[in-house]
Amino acid sequence: MNRIYTFKTILWTILGFGAAVGTARFIYGLGVTTNLSDSVPWGLWIGFDVMGGVALAAGGFILTATVYIFRLEKFHGIVRPAVLTAFLGYIAVAVGLLFDLGLPWNIWHMIIFWNPHSPLFEVGWCVMLYLTVLLLEFFPIPAEEFSKLNKLRNFLLKLRLPLVIAGIALSTLHQSSLGSLFLIMPYNVHPLWYSPILPVLFFISAITLGLMMVSFESKFTSWLYRRETETDLLAKLCSAARWVFLIYIIVRFGDLAFRGQLGHLGGGEWQVVMFWVEIAITALIPVILLSIPKIRIAPVWQWIIPMMSIFGIVLNRINVGGLVHINRGNTLYLPSLTEITISASVVAGAALVFLYMVERYKIWEKRPADPNTDPTKIPEFDFASRTSLGTPEVALRTKYSLAFILAAAVGFALLSTENLSSAGTESSPAKEARGWETMWIDGDLDGEGTAFPHAKHIDNNGKEKSCVLCHHMNLPLDNSSQCSACHRDMYLLSDAFGHDRHASASGAGLKCFDCHKKDLTKNADTAKPCKDCHGDLVAEGSTITVENYRTIGYVESMHRLCIGCHSQKADSLEKPDLPRCANCHKEKRTIISPDAGVHPHQYGAEKDNVIFPIVSYNSEQPPDTTNTGSAVENSR
Amino acid sequence: MKAILTDTTKCIGCRECVIACKKTYNLEEEVPRRWSSDDGLSSRNWTSIIQKPEGKFIRKQCRHCLQPACVSACPVGALRKTSEGAVIYDSKKCIGCRYCMMACPYGIPRYDWDQPVPYVRKCILCYDRITQGKQPACTEACPTEATIFGDRQELLGEAHRRLKETPDKYIDRVWGEKEVGGTQVLYISDIDLSCLTYGRPLGEKPLPTRTATAMNAVPYTFVGMSATMAGISWIIGRRMKIQEKPGDDQREDNDE
Repeated sequence: MNRIYTFKTILWTILGFGAAVGTARFIYGLGVTTNLSDSVPWGLWIGFDVMGGVALAAGGFILTATVYIFRLEKFHGIVRPAVLTAFLGYIAVAVGLLFDLGLPWNIWHMIIFWNPHSPLFEVGWCVMLYLTVLLLEFFPIPAEEFSKLNKLRNFLLKLRLPLVIAGIALSTLHQSSLGSLFLIMPYNVHPLWYSPILPVLFFISAITLGLMMVSFESKFTSWLYRRETETDLLAKLCSAARWVFLIYIIVRFGDLAFRGQLGHLGGGEWQVVMFWVEIAITALIPVILLSIPKIRIAPVWQWIIPMMSIFGIVLNRINVGGLVHINRGNTLYLPSLTEITISASVVAGAALVFLYMVERYKIWEKRPADPNTDPTKIPEFDFASRTSLGTPEVALRTKYSLAFILAAAVGFALLSTENLSSAGTESSPAKEARGWETMWIDGDLDGEGTAFPHAKHIDNNGKEKSCVLCHHMNLPLDNSSQCSACHRDMYLLSDAFGHDRHASASGAGLKCFDCHKKDLTKNADTAKPCKDCHGDLVAEGSTITVENYRTIGYVESMHRLCIGCHSQKADSLEKPDLPRCANCHKEKRTIISPDAGVHPHQYGAEKDNVIFPIVSYNSEQPPDTTNTGSAVENSR
Repeated sequence: MKAILTDTTKCIGCRECVIACKKTYNLEEEVPRRWSSDDGLSSRNWTSIIQKPEGKFIRKQCRHCLQPACVSACPVGALRKTSEGAVIYDSKKCIGCRYCMMACPYGIPRYDWDQPVPYVRKCILCYDRITQGKQPACTEACPTEATIFGDRQELLGEAHRRLKETPDKYIDRVWGEKEVGGTQVLYISDIDLSCLTYGRPLGEKPLPTRTATAMNAVPYTFVGMSATMAGISWIIGRRMKIQEKPGDDQREDNDE
């Protein structure tokens, strides 16, 4: 198969995954589909899609400046692909931003609600205006094909110089303003990156990135379509880029020296390593390699140098955009697969439109020849099914669609169901309770819990008859199932019923209508109550009720039992403070049990910056956890 | 300008302020989420109590800076500083860019990560209540007067009075008096409060002034860049014309 078709199939496959993941992002929200958090509000989508994307599309304004302002006509051949790349690049930025924004349908608010103090406001406006400029710059190219549009086309061509100038001015503004975004975070951004001249650094690096991107794109599409590369032009571009690289290095290190931050460079932190890697592949190595004329025109190096530099500057954007921010709250951010998929599919979509434009309109001097338009070629049969897929063109479309749909289906199937159904709730399984005189109940093991006077509760509620008041359902053939057997998560709804187990032939083997009434909707509310079959499920006099098979989480069920019972007792015993939270939740601590010697779980002794004192009790000094509520009164 | 003064030596960690806040704004019960942070603040907890060793408690909430970074950062003006000093949020304007969360030096604004239609959430200094002449729910609920509400100047005076009267009891500093241009939520304490800024010492320069320099340059850059480009284009165009003028001979030379 021709490499262009393989490449397009890959792009369609990525787009298919993106379709599945993108749908999930809008249905379920950002929390469960990304790895963003309150500590890391910006991630890959801002760093790569928006900041990287805008910088990657800088080639448009640089080449229009070269050709139409500086009149270097020899670059005329690559100005059209550069403008197309810029146009599609900015659309990709906008699309990527729609995924990242929490309320993307409000994006037009920037037009009517103004805050001129905000660099983001300025970036938004510049990008909107520049997209319009790019559209007007690009429009004449496809308009060539339609004679009806000639008038409009000629009018736009007359406007070209003002448009080019506006494009350059707007690009200068927002390329640099992306750097201004971070001026307000002097305490977040690492000192090796934070600088009052961030806007300037961003602008210079955008120029190098634009030049490198044009070279890389030309190289790559030549390889893709097996057409001749403009080696001469690329060598000239690279030679020009060399000077910009040099300026970038001087400004970057000059700025560090001026701010007195050179001392940071010797450190062994990962940020320092990151800085050196970034600056080396962005500028240091390319500038050395490009000074050697032999390397400048060598085809292999024309591949490697742009790729290296592009990666370096995009890495710079990702770094400034959040990676090297001094961490708030010890959270490590790595983009989730979802985020990577969306980023990749935005790029894939832009690439597909680019390839379509290149094949359909006169972007290059020579339109790439499509082997399938060869009239002598005969339709082929699909090698697997031995059926005809139609003419080569139709066959290709079928194959691309198939790749897209299959990928979307697989994408939907692979969506992490655990994360989505738990709505981001952290799993914190309940643990076995122990029947000491005083029990430490701390289901989520965070060191916060309550000392529960178990023995006292037994005494006050009728000795051994009291067990059933609180301890409820057991698994079949089990006398005391752990809470966690059913309440698998502290806070989530639990399925205490097990529909499959009841319905399957190997389980209870019931038919639908054994439990659900015939004329009604089949759901939990219309089903037979559990106790109709399981008479011994809940003991007489128990405070536990089972309405349907969905039960609330462990914490809630514990609270419901305690608070409900305490509220009743508060009236009868005339102790109004009994149901108050502080009656049980007195302080955070772990307890050494008097019965068991040492508590088997002395966790939480030190968690983050919070230290919980370990309190030990002996039999002479019983813990002050009686039901009197006096402790609360004293403390108030 | 209204303000809140929190005296950590008086706080007993009862969380009545947290509960009052949750009741006032009908905030849902908090459950541990993947995106929650250690300080206890979230889109459902606009104030929280951080427990430090030896039973010290620090209440965390929005500082309502005098020159708020979040207000200056918001591209659509969804965050606003009122004349009373509260930094309030208009969910109808918000586009969800989360730049405010990035800009805040105290890391206060939190996001409804679990919602398909998410908003930014933070303490709004009970703006409705203070315009009605009431005090915020949290200060009203505090049983020990550890956190009190009043005029900023008066509370600053009160803070300095306490520092002067019992210097052994406190660290000689009012947190929020000068940092990032001053905040309206002030602290006096017997322990270091650097945990409120993730251990980073904040300077006195207000954050919005840092972007202002760059933003003020925008119109000049635009005009300057346009003029330069137009000028260059004109000069080069003219030179090329002059070169062409002598006749067609030169052009032919060039072609060869």
